[in-house]
Amino acid sequence: MEYVALQLFNGLANGSFYALLSLGLAVIFGVLRVVNFAHGAFYMLGAFGAYLLLQDFGVGFWPALAIAPLAIGLAAMGLERLLIRRLYGLDPLYNFLLTFGLTLIIQDGMRLRFGLQGQPYPAPAELGGSLSLGPVGYPVYRLFVIVFSLAVCVLVWYLIERTRVGMVVRASTERPELTRALGINVDRWVTPVFGFGVALAALGGVLAAPMRNVSPLMGSELIIFTFAVVVIGGMGSIVGAVVAGFLVGILASLAAVFDPALENVLAFALMAVVLLVRPAGLFGSVDRT
Amino acid sequence: MTLLPYAGGTLVALVLPRLLYPVLALDILLWGLFAVSVDLLLGFGGLLSFGHAAFWGFGGYAGAITAKALGVPFPVAAVVGAVSAAALAVPFGFLAIRRRGIYFAMVTLAFAQMLFYLANEWRALTGGENGVQGVPRVLPGLSVGRSIDFYYAALPLVIVGFALAIRIVHSPFGHVLVAIRDNEARAQALGYHTWRYKLLAFALSGGLAGLAGALFALGHGFASLDLLHWTTSGTAVLMTILGGIGTLWGSLVGAAVVLLVRDTLTNVPEASGVVTGAIFVVIVLAFRRGLWPTLADLIRLARSRSLGS
Amino acid sequence: MQRTIALLVATLVLAAGCGGGNVGPGGGAVKLSDGKLVIAVINDQSGVYADLSGKNAVEAVKMAVEDFKAKYGENSLGGTVEVITADHQNKPDVASAKAQEFYERNAADLILDVPTSSAALGIAKVALDQKKLYINVTAATTDLTGASCNKYTFHYAYDTYMLAQGTGITVTQQGGKSWYIIYPNYAFGQDMEKSFRQAVIGAGGNVIQSDGSPFPNTTGDFSSLLLKAGQLKPQVLGAMQAGGDLVNVVKQYNEFKLKDQNIKLAIGLLFDTDITALGQDAFAGTLYTTPWLWSMDDQSRQFADKFLKRTGIRPTFAHAGNYSAAWQYMEAVRRGGTDDADAVVKQLEGYKFSDFFIRNGVVRADDHWVMHDALIAQVKPKSEAKEQFDYSKVVGTLSAEKASRPLADGGCKMPK
Repeated sequence: MEYVALQLFNGLANGSFYALLSLGLAVIFGVLRVVNFAHGAFYMLGAFGAYLLLQDFGVGFWPALAIAPLAIGLAAMGLERLLIRRLYGLDPLYNFLLTFGLTLIIQDGMRLRFGLQGQPYPAPAELGGSLSLGPVGYPVYRLFVIVFSLAVCVLVWYLIERTRVGMVVRASTERPELTRALGINVDRWVTPVFGFGVALAALGGVLAAPMRNVSPLMGSELIIFTFAVVVIGGMGSIVGAVVAGFLVGILASLAAVFDPALENVLAFALMAVVLLVRPAGLFGSVDRT
Repeated sequence: MTLLPYAGGTLVALVLPRLLYPVLALDILLWGLFAVSVDLLLGFGGLLSFGHAAFWGFGGYAGAITAKALGVPFPVAAVVGAVSAAALAVPFGFLAIRRRGIYFAMVTLAFAQMLFYLANEWRALTGGENGVQGVPRVLPGLSVGRSIDFYYAALPLVIVGFALAIRIVHSPFGHVLVAIRDNEARAQALGYHTWRYKLLAFALSGGLAGLAGALFALGHGFASLDLLHWTTSGTAVLMTILGGIGTLWGSLVGAAVVLLVRDTLTNVPEASGVVTGAIFVVIVLAFRRGLWPTLADLIRLARSRSLGS
Repeated sequence: MQRTIALLVATLVLAAGCGGGNVGPGGGAVKLSDGKLVIAVINDQSGVYADLSGKNAVEAVKMAVEDFKAKYGENSLGGTVEVITADHQNKPDVASAKAQEFYERNAADLILDVPTSSAALGIAKVALDQKKLYINVTAATTDLTGASCNKYTFHYAYDTYMLAQGTGITVTQQGGKSWYIIYPNYAFGQDMEKSFRQAVIGAGGNVIQSDGSPFPNTTGDFSSLLLKAGQLKPQVLGAMQAGGDLVNVVKQYNEFKLKDQNIKLAIGLLFDTDITALGQDAFAGTLYTTPWLWSMDDQSRQFADKFLKRTGIRPTFAHAGNYSAAWQYMEAVRRGGTDDADAVVKQLEGYKFSDFFIRNGVVRADDHWVMHDALIAQVKPKSEAKEQFDYSKVVGTLSAEKASRPLADGGCKMPK
């Protein structure tokens, strides 16, 4: 029985990453109408950022949590100005393909530089121990990840639902032309929002570094799970992204209790069910393409 | 419908394995057909399938397992691959078509990934990581053991597949498909059950990809998880776009270019991801028309110059 | 296309130019079928096994070629010796395609190394089809000398049987009776599980359960398996993961504090590069089986010093094995006077030899397994290390007979 409970925690931990990534993806899509395939690559860069900060500059985990996402978010803003905005007028498929190409470049570039086997990154000493949950110990760090991610998601929700900035973002998401007509400079927000979404992914990467393999391909399968999550949650919905993320994480881990093989397949099976029953997603509104 | 591409294409196809390493020529041929299947859906149906490796791979495994278990002549195994892939495309398409545009692409990608995991798990059938090794290829009366012999033996099947694609595009069905691509609402208003057309196109495209994939597995003696990987889907899309969306011929050219570039760079430390990604970025930003239309333009320009002066 | 032609012409010119002076010291001339000897090293150069073999294994082979020429003369092999290499990325299809390309397009005479058992088996088939030589050094699957054995395939350094006989039996005899085995779910891991299960049960122990982990493992997360170990409470957790995967298993084994629950860790396959990744103390006390240790005697140390100077690290047994296998191949070519595959096979079959890597070595003609002694080693804590890379000490030996699977159990049917 404790095993199931512990797997639940594993599920919440995994779900945290799904939630953070799909949150960023949903925010970017909402404002830019860009499906950022490179989101997984930015997550990976976040993890490497933490690793390099420690390796080359002796900067520890806590500062890295702030520095890496900031740096990568800024870099992403540059990318948006340089490349992505050239394709806004066209079918969103082109930007999808562009970000796909960027993913390949980033991932393979990192592979050439660092190899695939993964770099070690230790959990910070304050979070290093394990909590006794029944007879088994559960790493404190993973519990931290769950709590921290939830906090970030709540914070982002608050930002979007309760602040003026968030209001502009929401308005631009739902009615861009009307928002412009009301005199709000929607375009001014495009670049920072992209940077913000990417920073969320990079934050996920920093969180992942102590508990996963810091390797160039660490984001490549995750991004596809994230796509399934946003389809389940409903692409336009922030709440949907977070809820679906944690839901998928938990259900996948519970499925693993029955049969380890089910863990990977569950997200897609859920996606199939949602497509059958509620194509717009659990929290989504009518397809706006 | 000029005859030049057909004559030229057939000639190139016949000579290719003598110019290049035969395995490379075979790869160009089969990836070309795979890319054609993607173009059929994208260029004429307006549907970007980003998970087409599911059909290439499913056909590949089906053909490989059939050949290994039953020892049938390879064309039979190839057809089994094609039909299996087309059958798989029906449920996949049914669910995917419920979304449009970019969502459709994401759903196809997700389903392909699911198939990847399933293949990895169902070890008894697929060999998991080990793959299906030692896939035999037989043709009664002919020896197809050598790569170059298999190339010529498989060529007629590939030509049939390509001819089918051309036929579909120029048929009434194909015209309705294009109409749906351009304005689905109007097509529906005209009384067409658009989702049926899209589903059929998806199944046909899947079947073609399955045919190519089965021949690929037979040609390499191997069916492995790589056939189902999302980078395989991406490469096929790249070939289509590089060649020119909606041209069919362009996909063949795109496949040849991508594979030749990869082959030339083999001596450089394996940087295929960076190269493929860079080609993607450049094409999407600056060269969306693709090679085939550009080539056609150049020929037209040359002709008009010679006529005008 | 032009590039290929240019390359071809250049090669022919070079080969023609190097045709002179091909008399071996024995007086018998060595005649090469195309004027040159091409040795291909196919291995993992960017993945989980890149450190234990990888680019340094290619260096080891190059060292062997240089030393051979230094000993016997520049043209002792009747022509130039070329070393080419490819990264198979741990994918059996890539490995097979590369092997075929090397044999066909680059006229390779020998393929060496090939870690990753699924890739190793794929290439065995290609070697048979192409009728060219293949000496596998770094893969462990017993199928290479069993179900997939063939005339042109040789298995050089170690296999799962050797590892299980050494580690599995020793740990069980020392009191670790109940086991929970975790393994990477491809040919190697599946084979290890089988071999260890057999050895443990044979020594009076029992295997409660075995579970496979995905391979390649992109997340590096073994937590659900380790949690399960905590639930099952075996006396021994047998980890069959290798390379980078093993490093993660050990890291998380420590994270989940399984040692405190009296669950000992037994490692199926351990390389020095794994110990470097986590540090000696993380592995201190671990017993493992290995065909060779760089510090085991003076001869080995000599090789290790040369290797250290060239690459900056001490050699793993994979690096040393590649050197030794390349050397023995070249010796066989010199003895037979030709690089013709069938002739070299004849030279190798039944050949008895010893060098710094192989002790009491015999190439078994029936299944092409290279019998030799193995070592049982234990990792020392850092406090006992006399220099950098001094990780382990020898605590026992496994004779060639004990370390080699009996022919009858192998199921190798090689037509003569």
